[in-house]
Amino acid sequence: MTDPRMDVTGVGLLGEGLHSPGEPPAGIRRAPEGVDGLTTEHLIINMGPQHPSTHGVLRMLVEVDGEEVIAAEASIGYLHRGIEKLAEHRRYDAVGTLMDRGDYVSGIHGELAFAMAAEKLMEVEVPRKAHWLRSLTSELNRLGSHLVWYGTFGLDTGAMGQFLYAMREREALLDILEAITGQRMMFNYVRPGGVLADLPVGVDTKIKAFTDTFDTYLEEYDQLLGGNEIFQHRVKGIGVIGREKALAFGLTGANLRAAGVDFDVRKQIPYAAYPELDFEVPLGSTGDAWDRYTVRMGEMRESARMIRQLMEGMPEGEHTAKMPKVIRPSEGEVYASVESSRGETGVHLVSDGTDKPYRMHYHGPSLYALQALEDVLPGHLLADVVMMIGSTDVMLGEIDR
Amino acid sequence: MLPDAQTVKSTLATGGAHDAEVAETTLGLVVRTQISVVIDALAALLAEGYESLVDFDGIDTGSSIELTYRLRSYSAGHEVFVKTTLPYDAEMASVWNLYPAALMPERETAELFGLTLSGHPNPKRLLTTEGVAPLLRKDQPIRTHEEVRRP
Repeated sequence: MTDPRMDVTGVGLLGEGLHSPGEPPAGIRRAPEGVDGLTTEHLIINMGPQHPSTHGVLRMLVEVDGEEVIAAEASIGYLHRGIEKLAEHRRYDAVGTLMDRGDYVSGIHGELAFAMAAEKLMEVEVPRKAHWLRSLTSELNRLGSHLVWYGTFGLDTGAMGQFLYAMREREALLDILEAITGQRMMFNYVRPGGVLADLPVGVDTKIKAFTDTFDTYLEEYDQLLGGNEIFQHRVKGIGVIGREKALAFGLTGANLRAAGVDFDVRKQIPYAAYPELDFEVPLGSTGDAWDRYTVRMGEMRESARMIRQLMEGMPEGEHTAKMPKVIRPSEGEVYASVESSRGETGVHLVSDGTDKPYRMHYHGPSLYALQALEDVLPGHLLADVVMMIGSTDVMLGEIDR
Repeated sequence: MLPDAQTVKSTLATGGAHDAEVAETTLGLVVRTQISVVIDALAALLAEGYESLVDFDGIDTGSSIELTYRLRSYSAGHEVFVKTTLPYDAEMASVWNLYPAALMPERETAELFGLTLSGHPNPKRLLTTEGVAPLLRKDQPIRTHEEVRRP
């Protein structure tokens, strides 16, 4: 201790040994209460709602100590359109348009959940062809949605190029979906009783051209992002939502499967043509951001495989059951759920025997993922907040409804 | 996905919810309890392995608010709907201690049906701002008088 500068604070030079964190509490990387008696102040950072990294209009209030998150609170409702209330004033065949605007990146799944609920109420037998067309559009839409996630997840972690590749592939998918349904995103294709129309002439060559190249491209994309060491360091072991926490917070879909829970609505509560298809359900183990990444990449591979099976085995026949002009289901209450791109999308439908639903509840899996995020974020670095929002793939359209 | 009704009934009885009615309906296996024992019923089902609250919502039945909890046991592959009713403008006890998944859906249901939340760590409004009427009540019109009168 001969250097006079050492005596300035009595503990040593500023910056020397002062920032050694010691043993951090579980889940927290650094001690939250300042550094060695220095008076530090917590700062509340307002992220969003108008910010590209929040995937829509999510507003996160993040309390930070330096770079470390102490608490996080999601403030939502900026996209609340009252879909559940509006559905009570629409006829059954018109609710599909509202469901499209729920999860607007994978609209088919919302429509399908509502159509299945209405069919359960009416006890309608849907023709086999309609089931296959529903599965085909679902899988095309799932691929499109996962590609948006892949691109934006790349942006969130700092990989700018992925977005361009993902959008190129998605453009081809939207072209195909436009040819089938007539719309690029707000499809209104799946109706109670079946689907709007049969496959148009020539779309099979479009789909074949897409699936022929997609598998090779997907491998390339996986290597570009997932094979990148910087990316791996960025996501491995971060944002762990383990099995216990995932179940407690009611997560579904890829976020739950990343924690190792083998549950897929397509397998466990089969609907549409999924009982006839051969596909695997990718699983993770720890539930960190890397597992969520690998599960979603695996799902894209399976989706592409299913699209090929669906095109090869597409049956002949009617694309819709005989339905009355005005649907009036008998009184009753049903619940139908489908595996959407973000988890289990459910529709709780109550009918009072009139031509409009008495109550329609739209269960968006992203709402449950978001409240799990609030719990997981403390202890992470501020830069990880954006990455973790991206890794859970929350969609504000179905959170606010 | 349907568990045995008798097993569920005995589970509820040991948990303290004796008068719970268990019935198979178009919805699935539905447990109906009084509002006073719904937390006991949920606690009993949680102890029995229904580890996840998959969905929570409310319905305005015209005379009261009906709450629906959708519980799932991933290990057994079973699913149960728990239903209870409470009067308008009543106080809804939070179940977040049992199921943290109820945190946000409870806030949403409370504001959209005009209920008060009790025992909730953050009982703020979720979707709408202060002063907005409980939108999902049946007596709430979707258009204002001015909009209806517009030619």
